[in-house]
Amino acid sequence: MIINLKLLALYRKYLPAETQGSACQIEIGQGSVVRHVLESYSIPVDESSVILINGHAATPEDILAEGDVLCAFPSMAGG
Amino acid sequence: MFGWHGKLLRVDLTSGASQVEEIDPQIAKDYLGGRGWAIRYLYDEIDPRVDALAPENKLIFATGPLTGTPAPTGNRYMVVTKSPLTGALSNSNSGGVFPTVMKRTGFDMFIFEGKAEKPVYLWINEDQIELRPAEHLWGKDVPETTAILLAETDPKAKVACIGPAGERLVKVAAIMNDEHRAAGRSGVGAVMGSKNLKAVVVNGNRQPILAYPEQMKALSLSIQREVGGDIMTQGSSLREYGTAYVPQVTNEMGILPTRNFKSGVFEGVDQIDGPTLSEKYLIRAKPCYKCPIACGRDTRVDEPGYEGKGEGPEYETIGAIGSACGVDNLAAITKANYLCNELGMDTISAGTTIACAMELFADGLIPESDIGTPLNFGDADAMIEMIRKMAYRDGFGDLLAEGSYRLADHYGHPQYSMTAKKLEMPGYDPRGAQGMGLLYATSNIGASHMAGDIAYSEVFGVPSRLDPLTIEEKPRLVMRFEDAFTVIDAAGLCVFLSVRYMFGPDVNLWPERLTQVMNYATGAEYTEDTLLEAGERIFNLERMFLIKAGFTQADDTLPERMLMEPMPEGPAQGKVVELAQMLPEFYQLRGWDETGVPTKEKLVALGLEV
Repeated sequence: MIINLKLLALYRKYLPAETQGSACQIEIGQGSVVRHVLESYSIPVDESSVILINGHAATPEDILAEGDVLCAFPSMAGG
Repeated sequence: MFGWHGKLLRVDLTSGASQVEEIDPQIAKDYLGGRGWAIRYLYDEIDPRVDALAPENKLIFATGPLTGTPAPTGNRYMVVTKSPLTGALSNSNSGGVFPTVMKRTGFDMFIFEGKAEKPVYLWINEDQIELRPAEHLWGKDVPETTAILLAETDPKAKVACIGPAGERLVKVAAIMNDEHRAAGRSGVGAVMGSKNLKAVVVNGNRQPILAYPEQMKALSLSIQREVGGDIMTQGSSLREYGTAYVPQVTNEMGILPTRNFKSGVFEGVDQIDGPTLSEKYLIRAKPCYKCPIACGRDTRVDEPGYEGKGEGPEYETIGAIGSACGVDNLAAITKANYLCNELGMDTISAGTTIACAMELFADGLIPESDIGTPLNFGDADAMIEMIRKMAYRDGFGDLLAEGSYRLADHYGHPQYSMTAKKLEMPGYDPRGAQGMGLLYATSNIGASHMAGDIAYSEVFGVPSRLDPLTIEEKPRLVMRFEDAFTVIDAAGLCVFLSVRYMFGPDVNLWPERLTQVMNYATGAEYTEDTLLEAGERIFNLERMFLIKAGFTQADDTLPERMLMEPMPEGPAQGKVVELAQMLPEFYQLRGWDETGVPTKEKLVALGLEV
C-alpha cells in the first residue's frame, strides 16, 4: 500500500534522493508499523523524534493505513 | 556580590540627572535579576493605573546574573514597563550582543523615568554617563541611527534604539538592539518614544565576578559540547534552518495561523519554510554573543521590488506576516521583516494587525476608501505598504498603529482581533494546542508564547511530548512552564537552549543545571525548589501589578473565535480551546481565589507583602 512520508527539518536528508520538498510517496507492506518504516529510513524512534500520523501524535507501534501521512522531525526547542 | 554587579543606574530624563544605586542583597536573591528585579522596582515605584505613555511610567532595562557570563546563551536582557498596547505589564526579551555589553558597563539595570524636553540618547561607558542631544537622530531609522551613534561614541559600543514607529508612539513599536534584534512585544518602543529617549549606547569592560568561575566554565563547556554533539537535533537543525523550519511543523499539526486565525492549515506553506529560506536567501547563520545554537538568519533578497539585506525572518514573523495574512511570497515576507526592523516594530503584532484588517476588509466591514487601496488576503505588496503606513501613522496606518484590538473595535467588531489582553497571538493556534490557550489567557503580558512556551512539549517534544489536543495536566504544567520561563528570563538566559539543556528530561521542568549555573554565578545557594519559588514569586508580583491596574478574571480570556468557532479543517478540526475547563483548576493550583486574585496566604508564603 502507498503512504506519504514527510520528514521535516534535518530529517529531510533521509528522504529518497530524488524527492522534491519534504514529502514523498512510499510503498509499504500491509500492516506495517511506524517503527519499522521510520527505522528503514534511519530515523531514530525514541524521545529524540516527534512522530505524527495525519497530524496527530503517534506511537512507534501504530499500524499504518493506506494514504496515511507519516511525519517525523527531530524534537527541539522551537519558534 | 557575585554574578550581579549589585548596581543600577537611575536616569531622570526630566532633569537630566542620573544616580547610581546599590541593590539590596536580599532583593537581589529573592527576585533573581532581569525580569524579577524589574517588576519589584516597577511595582514599588509606579501606580499601575498610570497612562503608559505619561512621564510617570518608567522604562526599565534589566540584565540577569547570567548575562555576560560564560553560561551558554547568557546574553539576554529584558525591557519592563507598563504597556501602552495592553495596559498590562510589558516584559520583552532580546538577545544579540547589546545585553552582554550593557552588563559590562558595571550596571545590572537601568531605570528611565520622566520625559526629556527634547530628544536625547544615553551614552554610558562605565563611569562616563552622558545624556546627549538626539535631535539629529529623530526621524532616522534603526540602521541609520545605529551607524551615526557608533561613529559618535565608539565603534565597539552597542546600541539599542527606537525607529520612526517608536517616535510616533505606535503601540506595537519595538526597541531594536544590534540593529536587527527586538525587544518587540507590547509597545515598549512607544514608551521609549514617549520619553524622547531615542537610544541607549553602551560600552565597558566590567565583567561580572563569578562565585565559582572554574565550575561555571567546566559546566558551560560540557553543555556546549552536548549542543555540538546533538547533530540530529537542536544544535544543527536550528543552525541550518533557524526557527523557519517551524511552519511545516505547525501546519502539519493544523495550528499555523492562517488568514487571521480562520484556519490552521496554509496551502502555501512549502513556499515559506526554512529550506526555502536557506536555499534562496540565507547568507549565514548568525548567533547571539557566543551562542552555540546560532538560530539567527543573516539574509539578502535580490528579487525586484523586495531588495534588501538584514536578519530574519524567524518563525513568528513568517506566521504573522506570512500565513496569517495569506501571503506565501517569502521574498515579500523577508522584505516586510526588514522594514519592521528598520522602522522598529514587532513583527508579530504588525502582521497580525494587518491580518485583522484584511479579514475586516474581506467581510466588507472596512470600506476601501478608508484604506486607500484594496487589502485582500494574500496581497503581499499591500501588506508591505501597510507596514510602512503603520510605522509612520500615515493615513489608514494611524489606525493600524493602534494594534488589532483598537482597529477592530473602531469598526465595531472587536471579535476580529486575535488578541488576549489586546496583545496579538503568536504562531500557534491554541485550538490545536490547548496548553498554549491557557498560557495566552493567563500570561501577564497578554498572548505571548515566551511567557511559558508549553508548545515546546505540545509541538516540539522538548523536554518530552504532550498531546496538544488534550487538557489533562495542562493547568499544572502551564503553571510550571510559566514559573520556569520566568526564572530563565530573570537569569538572563535564552529559552531555546535552557529548556533542553538546563532542566531535567521530562515536562515537569526540574531546573537541575539551571540551579547549578545560578549558584556558580551568584553563590546564592539556590535549590531547585527555591529557584522555582522565586519564579512563582515574580509571576505573582506581576499578577498583582495587573490586578492593581484594573484587570480581572474577565481579562483572562481568548478571542471568541478560539472559544466558540471550531477549527474548520486539519488535524485540530472541530476543536475549540477548553478554557473554561482549565482556568478554575489553574487558579486553584496557583493559590488564587476563584476570581483570579492571589490569596493573602499565597502572597505571604511567597514573601510578597503587597
